[in-house]
Amino acid sequence: MGREIGAPLQVRVRKARQGANGQPFVLEVALEIPPGITILFGPSGAGKSTLLDCIAGLVRPETGSVRVGQETWFDSSAAIDIPVHQRQIGYVFQTLALFPHLTVEENIGYGITRLAAREQKQRIEEILNAFKIGGLRTRKPGEISGGEAQRVELARALVTEPRVLLLDEPMTGLDEELKAHIIEDLRAWRTARQIPILYVTHSRIEAQALGDHAITMRAGIAVPE
Amino acid sequence: MAPLWLSMELAVTVAALLLVIGVPVAYWLAFSGWRFKFLLEAVVALPLVLPPTVLGFYALVAMGPHGPLGKLWQAAFGHGLAFTFAGLVLASIFYSFPFAVQPLMGSFEAVDRRLLNASAVLGASPWRTFCSVILPLSLPGVVTAAVLCFAHTLGEFGAVLMVGGNLPGITRTASIAIYDRVQALEYGEANRMALVLLVISFSVLSLVYAVNRRARRSLWTPWAAK
Repeated sequence: MGREIGAPLQVRVRKARQGANGQPFVLEVALEIPPGITILFGPSGAGKSTLLDCIAGLVRPETGSVRVGQETWFDSSAAIDIPVHQRQIGYVFQTLALFPHLTVEENIGYGITRLAAREQKQRIEEILNAFKIGGLRTRKPGEISGGEAQRVELARALVTEPRVLLLDEPMTGLDEELKAHIIEDLRAWRTARQIPILYVTHSRIEAQALGDHAITMRAGIAVPE
Repeated sequence: MAPLWLSMELAVTVAALLLVIGVPVAYWLAFSGWRFKFLLEAVVALPLVLPPTVLGFYALVAMGPHGPLGKLWQAAFGHGLAFTFAGLVLASIFYSFPFAVQPLMGSFEAVDRRLLNASAVLGASPWRTFCSVILPLSLPGVVTAAVLCFAHTLGEFGAVLMVGGNLPGITRTASIAIYDRVQALEYGEANRMALVLLVISFSVLSLVYAVNRRARRSLWTPWAAK
């Protein structure tokens, strides 16, 4: 299917699960996320990560639908459930998940192996330079710091040119200077690629610097701000 | 030394075949959500608690001229399966099955699920995730499985005796030959073969521990959340 520029992400899902305190928890949202950065606020346990997992296909909602433009990724009534690996998503998880047996360069290239070797190389070079991590290319995740790993993870998600980008507190643990630098990169990236970006953060500074829109989640319900 | 070479040949063949069979079984056991999975887990573990003679007895019945395996083998190759090297291989596969599946399953299950999710969102199919993430990170488990199968088969006695008997050059393995020598009061020869088995077993187990230790060190990420 062709890539739609500026296609919004429509999410209407219901998912019941056990909450962190053992109480039943229901995520019930109906949202349209336009292209640009939408900040997702909310206290811990409000369902932000579950919502992101439902969009990515890592968690299967009981009912509802997930659509990007004309393309349906999930629709319970039509029994459509596109597998995670076919959704073309960029996702930076709350806890880092770099492949420990691969170098930084191999980690970043993991999601673009379908491209021609030349294009792969070019994209990797660009992102390594943009995130100032070129010096780490041959190191393994066990040989870099937490902040560096965070940058590598972000670079790995962006390099795939995803259709939807999900960022779950992607700047935790980074120093202010680096945050400012990455915020600048993300702004430029957002302008160049008109895709919906859901950005979970507790930081009002990050939200103000990046957010085009904002949503607050409380106890599984999403409220646009 | 012929029995020792036969044992080595048997152990290498069985270890190789068990890796091929054990990997998909272990993968399924590690990741399947089937509610009655525990039944298959129990079947896989059965040889751990079953006396080798019991397993050997059933294998012999199955491989006999009236048994299902024996009949199939006869139809395919024109001769029986019991008291042949192929029969020994088959019985050893059943006998050492848990030694392949359990370390593999344990390693597959130990791979951080976040890495599997990361692989999927980066566009990798389940097969690519298996080849590029699960298998490389489970290498210590693969080595453990291969070495345990090899060592376990090398020292096999009861099941082999039941299925293969004691035919020189065909089914007389080292452990049977040792028993044979002891019965004949030739302790010197028995001691020589026993010592070789002891050294081989010790060496391969040392290798397993060394490989696992090294792999654990190389994959440790200090910043990763526990």
